Amino acid sequence: MAPPAADFPPPQFFARPPLSNPPLDPTPPPPPPQQLYSRPPSSMLSTPPPPIPSKAPPFASPPPFAAPHQFQGLQGPPPSHPPPPPPQAPYFGGSPAYQQQQQQPLPPPSQGYFAGIAPPLPGVAAPPGHDIADEFESLSISSAPGTAADVKVEALPRPPPDSCDTFAQPAWSNCHPRYFELTTNAIPASHSLAARWHLPLGAVIHPLAEAPPEEQVPVVDFGTSGIVRCRRCRTYINPYDKFTDGGKYFRCAICNLLNDVPMDYVCALDEQGKRRDAMDRPELSQGSVDFVAPMEYMVRPPMPPVYFFLIDVSVAAVRSGILQIAADTIKSCLDKLPGYPRTQIGFLTFDSTLHFYSLKSSLTQPQMVVLAQVDDPFLPMPDDLLVNLSESRLVVEALLDSLPSIFANNENVESALGPALEATTSIMSEIGGKLLIFQSTLPSLGVGRLKLRGQEAHVYQTDREPALRVAEDSFYKQMAAKCSKLQIGVNVYAFSEKYTDVASLGTLAKYTGGQVCYYPGFHAAVDGEKLTYDLSRDLTRETAWEAVMRIRCGKGIKYSVFHGHFMLRSSDLLALPAVDCDKAFSVQFALEDTLLTSQLAYFQVALLYTSSSGERRIRVHTAAVPIVQELSVMYKEANIGAVVGVLSRLAVEKSLNDKLENARQYVHVKMVNALREYKNMYAVKHSLIGRIIFPESLKLLPLYVLALSKSLPLRGGFMDATPDERSAAGYQMMTMSRPSLLKLLYPALIRLDEYLLQGSRGGGVDSPPQLPLTAEVLDPRGAFVTSDGQRFVLWLGNVLQPEFVAAILGPQVAHSSDLRKVPVVEQDNDLSKRFHALLAKLRKQNRWCHQQCVVVRQGESGRELQLVHSNMVEDRGAGFPSYMEWMVQIHRQVQQKI
Amino acid sequence: MAWDLALWILSFLAVAAALGIIVYQLLCLSDLEFDFINPFDSSSRINRFVLPEFAIQGVLSAIYLIFGYWLMFLLNAPLLYYNIRLYMSKRHLVDVTEIFNQLEPEKKIRFYKLGFYLSLLCIVIYRLVVSSMEVILESGIASMAEI
Repeated sequence: MAPPAADFPPPQFFARPPLSNPPLDPTPPPPPPQQLYSRPPSSMLSTPPPPIPSKAPPFASPPPFAAPHQFQGLQGPPPSHPPPPPPQAPYFGGSPAYQQQQQQPLPPPSQGYFAGIAPPLPGVAAPPGHDIADEFESLSISSAPGTAADVKVEALPRPPPDSCDTFAQPAWSNCHPRYFELTTNAIPASHSLAARWHLPLGAVIHPLAEAPPEEQVPVVDFGTSGIVRCRRCRTYINPYDKFTDGGKYFRCAICNLLNDVPMDYVCALDEQGKRRDAMDRPELSQGSVDFVAPMEYMVRPPMPPVYFFLIDVSVAAVRSGILQIAADTIKSCLDKLPGYPRTQIGFLTFDSTLHFYSLKSSLTQPQMVVLAQVDDPFLPMPDDLLVNLSESRLVVEALLDSLPSIFANNENVESALGPALEATTSIMSEIGGKLLIFQSTLPSLGVGRLKLRGQEAHVYQTDREPALRVAEDSFYKQMAAKCSKLQIGVNVYAFSEKYTDVASLGTLAKYTGGQVCYYPGFHAAVDGEKLTYDLSRDLTRETAWEAVMRIRCGKGIKYSVFHGHFMLRSSDLLALPAVDCDKAFSVQFALEDTLLTSQLAYFQVALLYTSSSGERRIRVHTAAVPIVQELSVMYKEANIGAVVGVLSRLAVEKSLNDKLENARQYVHVKMVNALREYKNMYAVKHSLIGRIIFPESLKLLPLYVLALSKSLPLRGGFMDATPDERSAAGYQMMTMSRPSLLKLLYPALIRLDEYLLQGSRGGGVDSPPQLPLTAEVLDPRGAFVTSDGQRFVLWLGNVLQPEFVAAILGPQVAHSSDLRKVPVVEQDNDLSKRFHALLAKLRKQNRWCHQQCVVVRQGESGRELQLVHSNMVEDRGAGFPSYMEWMVQIHRQVQQKI
Repeated sequence: MAWDLALWILSFLAVAAALGIIVYQLLCLSDLEFDFINPFDSSSRINRFVLPEFAIQGVLSAIYLIFGYWLMFLLNAPLLYYNIRLYMSKRHLVDVTEIFNQLEPEKKIRFYKLGFYLSLLCIVIYRLVVSSMEVILESGIASMAEI
């Protein structure tokens, strides 16, 4: 039963001793007797540790912390991560702590030291049923359908408030999980183990995630000597590289090659084999660094930030006020555009004709040239269409001031987007940059014209259905590829109430690292604020230009598929013409044929980019995770945020070439298989009749899969969402970071009236309690707010006091029947101020997009269903059962033998 | 029988050309896989020869049909149907944006085509030899008759 110690990885990764580890103490305690057997550190890593217990009896003198940790591993709350390392102390990255620990006597593996999954310690009398509670979460469900009386709805697992935004502390010298988060912090050692995991083995990567000011990524400059990298696999120097031979060589963590250390980088090692300067060098002590890239990382001089605006000025854009708001916003952002004084800017507007603007700095007023022939557009005055902002500032301002008035009376309904795109790409072809497209109608002229589709219900549920969600005309894919080649990142803003074919337009963003913002039925008074915020954020956030990203994995592991907005330049190189802090990607890993024999698997994400200031840089994130032999550990170390992140991208991608039904089924099957596998691990030992069990780490998986099935891109069928809404939401989901995705899937629901009134009575409540997302909690006497990270929906009960409504929304709203276009503005009273303070607080957690507040009253047909009930993921809807029924259904499926 | 020989010579050339195209496309795909060329060049090179290959195969099938080589036509029919379906659904060209995800299926289908054209080539060569022998023999007999 007990595996030999040599086959068993040392368990220190899970039950790590407390932080008082020898190297951190000012006076290290005398080394344990096992130090006698110490070997050169390099050999320690490539080979499994020698079976020390045979030489030194494990029970002879166990180190003082071994025993309590066995205990904690069993009975403490299941730690999803080991405790964090002290800020400046690399724990295991080639540090002696790591090697020394390997030489600690291994406790007998049969004692369940390993991650606390194996049977309880003999001699520790656990109360009956206690062990089971520690091992997994369980939920009693009677297996007969419809008779789930013994389960309380309240007992179902729900995400705790603010859980979306909190990350686990990084382990060892790993990068922060906000940058790189694996679906499970335990890599399976073999194919057979990986196959039993069933969930995706992958990671969510958010290379430029925003960090609080105290955790900014340090910048490292190696000067002219060049960045230290592995000779063979080109991995960047990182905390997990082991220095040997007095610091003359280092062993690459990824490919295990012994490399020379460049002469001017050599540093003496201390007695524990650790570089003496490791603490002063971020690249040797931290998981995330920005390297300054020297000349050899450039194929051309670093490009300046370029912003090009391609604006539809047809009648729809003018009437809805988009042109005015866009022009005003751009003007207000001119000072904040990154990269002053190198920033370049250009404009092109179009309806059935193309309008070019010469912005030469010698002019006082911009010169407009209209090109009526759109079939083969040529560029008039090609040099003055894209200009340096600081030089032509006055002309640009004059243009933005006059733009709305020039087209104020435009009656043109056509839109020649394709020709405009062709003209734009030839303007931008020299440098590249960011292209913002404002599209208000369906492109109707020239190449790339699109036609109405997706209006017939009978297309759904047939093989023609997935075609609605991909580009109709190959022009858009070719244009996207061309943009990627020319380093143009495209952001699409679509506004029309009618069909605009977001699926086709979004293709441009999909392959160029861009984003799709969709404002159906844009109305300046209501949506203006949101557009202003989103556009300013787009223009002013930190952007990485002409970037490429690559992921390197340790021996035996290989990337298999990438998901997100990028184009593959070669099999593992993601081309990202413009990428910013709001773009996340996901990757799946596959095991190669060789069995993983080492103890740690290493991953390194490297993003080579040009910063707005014109410096070429490499953002490197390194992470190490233990390789495990046991499935239970994989489940225990699972990370629900990353699992959902990868699953949702998989599902959206599946919906592009398969029916919605199958896309939902795809995720569902993965979840059921995983839970069944987990059940089978315990079914022998425990009586699990009528109970569904799941690891603590994945207790929210059923809820999130349910929410995903009800989410906008995957929901229901023809009736449940327009094709444009689906596509836009799908594009958005592909780029979402973990916090915003979880928030979108399970929005927060807050009872507003109680919270506000309580506060005004002096009973200060800091954060309002979150309610389960079911319509049952919607009390007609109350007011509720849902926050899904994209907007707030304020729901007003039927018998809510009109005074309350008047107080927070203004007196004229209290009795008005049409709440569609009610702007939510702060009133001059305490309640309203508190209300807006709450909104501001929630918005602050979620900076990537502006949460618009919309108001809906109970019983408002259509809108209530669309805005409120579609968010109530725990209720029945869109062909999916309620949360309770869902659990019963999953339970039944898990029980089924296959 | 001279027209017969001409037809087999023509089909030999056509099949050899198609074979060349397939091999070239496979080379482009594997170059892409091993990162020797970028996806833009690779896909444009492949796409340049997609329609010529379809055309060669279509013309060949049409000739077999017209001249009544039923067996040869039946051999070609499945591929012809596949090609036409691909063309009608506009999926015949390699998609530059998704080329890495489609690498395996694209290679697979080209390997099948390679096998198909190779066997077709064998048949064609055999028929070519047979018909040229016939022509030679016939002319031989004819010349003998003159003597």
